[in-house]
Amino acid sequence: MLSNIFTLSFLVSLLAGTIRLATPILLPALGQLYTQRAGILNLGVEGTMLMGAISAFSIACASGSLWLGLLGGILGGMLFSCIMAWLSVTMRANQVIAGIGMNILASGLAAYIYRLIFGIRALPAKITSFQALQFPVLTDLPIVGTIFFSHNVLVYVTFALVPITWFILEKTTFGLKIKAVGEHPRAADSKGISVGGIRYAAVIIGGAYAGAGGAFMTIAYLNTFTENVISGFGYIAVSVVVFSRFQPLRAMFGALLFGCASALQLRLQAQGVAIPSQLLLMLPYIMTILALIAASKKAEFPSAYAQPYSRMER
Amino acid sequence: MNRRTGAALQQVLGTVGMVLIALILGGVLVLLSENSPGEAYAAILRGAFGSPQKITELFVKLIPILLLAFGVSIAYKAQLWNIGAGGQFIMGSIVTAAVAIYVPLPIPLRIVLSFVCAVAAGSLWAGLAGVLKNRFNANEVITTLMLTYIADYFLMYLVNGPMQDPESDLSQSALIPDEMRLVRLIGNYRLHSGIFILIIVIILMIFFWRTTVGYRIDLIGQGEKVATYAGVNVKRTVLQTLMISGAFAGLAGWIETCGIQYRILTGIAADYGNIATIIALLGSLNVYGIIAAACFFSILLCGGASMQRMTEVPYSVVNVIQGLIIILVIARTAFSEKLGTIFKSKAPVNAAGKEGK
Repeated sequence: MLSNIFTLSFLVSLLAGTIRLATPILLPALGQLYTQRAGILNLGVEGTMLMGAISAFSIACASGSLWLGLLGGILGGMLFSCIMAWLSVTMRANQVIAGIGMNILASGLAAYIYRLIFGIRALPAKITSFQALQFPVLTDLPIVGTIFFSHNVLVYVTFALVPITWFILEKTTFGLKIKAVGEHPRAADSKGISVGGIRYAAVIIGGAYAGAGGAFMTIAYLNTFTENVISGFGYIAVSVVVFSRFQPLRAMFGALLFGCASALQLRLQAQGVAIPSQLLLMLPYIMTILALIAASKKAEFPSAYAQPYSRMER
Repeated sequence: MNRRTGAALQQVLGTVGMVLIALILGGVLVLLSENSPGEAYAAILRGAFGSPQKITELFVKLIPILLLAFGVSIAYKAQLWNIGAGGQFIMGSIVTAAVAIYVPLPIPLRIVLSFVCAVAAGSLWAGLAGVLKNRFNANEVITTLMLTYIADYFLMYLVNGPMQDPESDLSQSALIPDEMRLVRLIGNYRLHSGIFILIIVIILMIFFWRTTVGYRIDLIGQGEKVATYAGVNVKRTVLQTLMISGAFAGLAGWIETCGIQYRILTGIAADYGNIATIIALLGSLNVYGIIAAACFFSILLCGGASMQRMTEVPYSVVNVIQGLIIILVIARTAFSEKLGTIFKSKAPVNAAGKEGK
């Protein structure tokens, strides 16, 4: 039976699925690298992604343009993450509960917006999502063509963001400032870096990525919106960041691991394997816990991780 | 009025103010959907208090949400963010149904066994997150949530597979024996004897923070250093705290299965994990505050459901109000703490001493 499953075509579709399903984890994870490096633990990614998903979907439906939808998703994520920035930087609230609160607010808000715009309907609203790009020659290559050259444009943009994120964080002044603020906000402050300003920027950049990740789900992976469209991806992305020890390249591998778990689950179901689908669906969540275990010994958190900063306190 | 009651009063008024702001903002959203906020809130109140039967339903709802909120509040006091009460509730429910349906013991023994096992199941499911935190430094927010997804899929698997009701195609288990069901108190209303368990738990909770365990949990919440100086074994207490927290959810699962559902089915945990969190924080982790917050939420949830049936206003308005409440409460707590530090750093020590007469 196993030989029936693990055929070449199964492996090829599994690997292609891995890359596709890594995308909605990798995008928010890359954004969280900025946020977490600046010392903010934003558990509100889940909710930010949901707001990105609903904004992108409604705007794409209304305008008929997927690109405007994507822009809407990014802006939606940025706007929503402003609340997190305000709570964690200005109000210096406990970041963990602020994040949880954000997710609760988003789940209500997204459902409400959907209902407001689309009303009650027998069938869910649908759009034509981003289609796979056709590369001359490359797409038609056997095996390699399907695995690497059969994806939509957002997948390629996301993977291109890996080196870009690395470059910004490691090689630019802005990246240095982010790290300084996360490691030693007081020292950064004394050098004239605006701790609050950089942290706001880092949270909002994270929101843009998370919004794009949410948009990917509704307008580039599925073609519809449901209330559970994100179903834990935001939290998985946060785990990937911890697992990656705050390095973009490792975050990419972490995301691919989760993409593989999700793809494996889908492929096995499609093959009609004797394992019940509900147990297969647990796979990404079990993987998240395993990833946190694997990261435990080596994780190096920024020194000021999850610590609010105030000039007045010692 | 002495200073303590003054501060408490200020706290209560502030919280009520935040809830009012959330309700007003919720009203604005209702306006946006081209409905009348007045009608929507009137529908909520009618849905909650409109008839004796509806009033008993408030208590029916209060039982699980108050138990779950107590549970998470214990963990939150120790700064352990257990957001997986829903999953622990599911595990308690599953075990209750499994024992009730499959264990061939005399009914009284089966009741006792299912009770003990349900509490243990909730407790262990939360304890797992405690072990992961102690051994591997895994963030409990993420692990408790992941464990909730896992519990949810496990439940779906059971009610579509091994535990599915042989007499139906629905995703639900068989019914538990009649004799195991909690007695209904008033005629055919759903209010059941589980309310007495809730009353016992409330009394226990009033004294909980004065016990040694409660004190140790409180110390953990003040920081690992403080707790270690006080001679508390931090890791052991972390595990204990999460296990106690989960035990409440397991208990709530037992009551819900024996008192309301009489079986397990998908979606039994509803949105309970989030609701428990909001209630605990809205009640400032204080026993009386949590009771008040849970009563408010019982009205909001029961009334919201009937508002959706009677008006054009969607139920998700209630979810948005919940979200606004939690954001405002967090902001307000942070704001008053911030005020506190500003005053502290400005006021000289002796002046502060004089003020407190």
